[in-house]
Amino acid sequence: MASQAPRVWVVIAAYNEAPVIANVVADVKRAGYRTVVVDDGSTDATGAVTAEAGGVVVRHPINLGQGAGLQTGIEFALREGADVIVTFDADGQHRAADIAVLIDALARQGADFALGSRFLGASHNQPLSRRMLLKAAISFTRLTTGLSVTDTHNGLRAMTRRGASSIKLHQNRMAHASEILHQIAASGLNYVEAPVTIEYSAYSLAKGQTLGDALMILIDLFARRLQR
Amino acid sequence: MIAQLIFTAFLSGILLYALTEYRRSPAVGLIAVFAAVGGLYFVWVPWHATRLAEFVGIGRGVDLIIYIWIVISLLLLLNLHLKLRAHMELITVLARELAIANARSHQSTS
Repeated sequence: MASQAPRVWVVIAAYNEAPVIANVVADVKRAGYRTVVVDDGSTDATGAVTAEAGGVVVRHPINLGQGAGLQTGIEFALREGADVIVTFDADGQHRAADIAVLIDALARQGADFALGSRFLGASHNQPLSRRMLLKAAISFTRLTTGLSVTDTHNGLRAMTRRGASSIKLHQNRMAHASEILHQIAASGLNYVEAPVTIEYSAYSLAKGQTLGDALMILIDLFARRLQR
Repeated sequence: MIAQLIFTAFLSGILLYALTEYRRSPAVGLIAVFAAVGGLYFVWVPWHATRLAEFVGIGRGVDLIIYIWIVISLLLLLNLHLKLRAHMELITVLARELAIANARSHQSTS
């Protein structure tokens, strides 16, 4: 008897993404996945546009940050019985076709986490400053987590139900990407990297992280360490 | 003598506060305890403050005490920041539960 296909939920955290979210949700739905968009207290029509595109909307009553949005989406998907959960960016820089690559990597290697890597795959229109910032972040992540990852702060990742249950994000803002890697390292569960493609656009670059954001991430990580 | 008593009362209050905060943030609690105990010591043995100040190149003992006071103030600010973060985490949990409950009830009715 053939084994049942895993129940996959794609989680997208979105804040004021009305101009692009419909296309993103439509692409993911076309690829055949259930989609939940966590509308993080947007002041534009992100929620309404998502619902029209066929995604499930979970709306935060106030803006909390991307990390909080992802954790909400992950918990929603777990309660809906997800076997595999994929996190996906709302700004249109990920390709829906890469979701299958990540799920396949999970199954083939028996891992609990599949992390998308633009440095194993490709990135189009990536500015040099962004590349240098990412390289510095990768070195920092390797040093602090002990994980020999080739990419960091890449929002495209897949996790099994067991993996997702072991993740509990406390970093509401951008530091969640580092926190996930810390928690993966602490969980002792297997992870694998898979090549993905990132398509930078003027829109996604305007929404992306700056040097100032990187400093805030470091402060957030340090403050969290001081808390019990 | 009056000043010594006033400073002792202040620093004892900070010491008690640091001890109660130790459970929530051990790092901040521990540093604040050290700073408050150091301050109390120098209030009652000021000539040691002068000697230590000379040793570390600050000059006057009173300057050293002012620096310790500044460190304590910054630690209190840091502690306040950590408390705000802890409250934010509670608000996040509440907002998350509300959001998920709303979405699930909306799904079941549609």
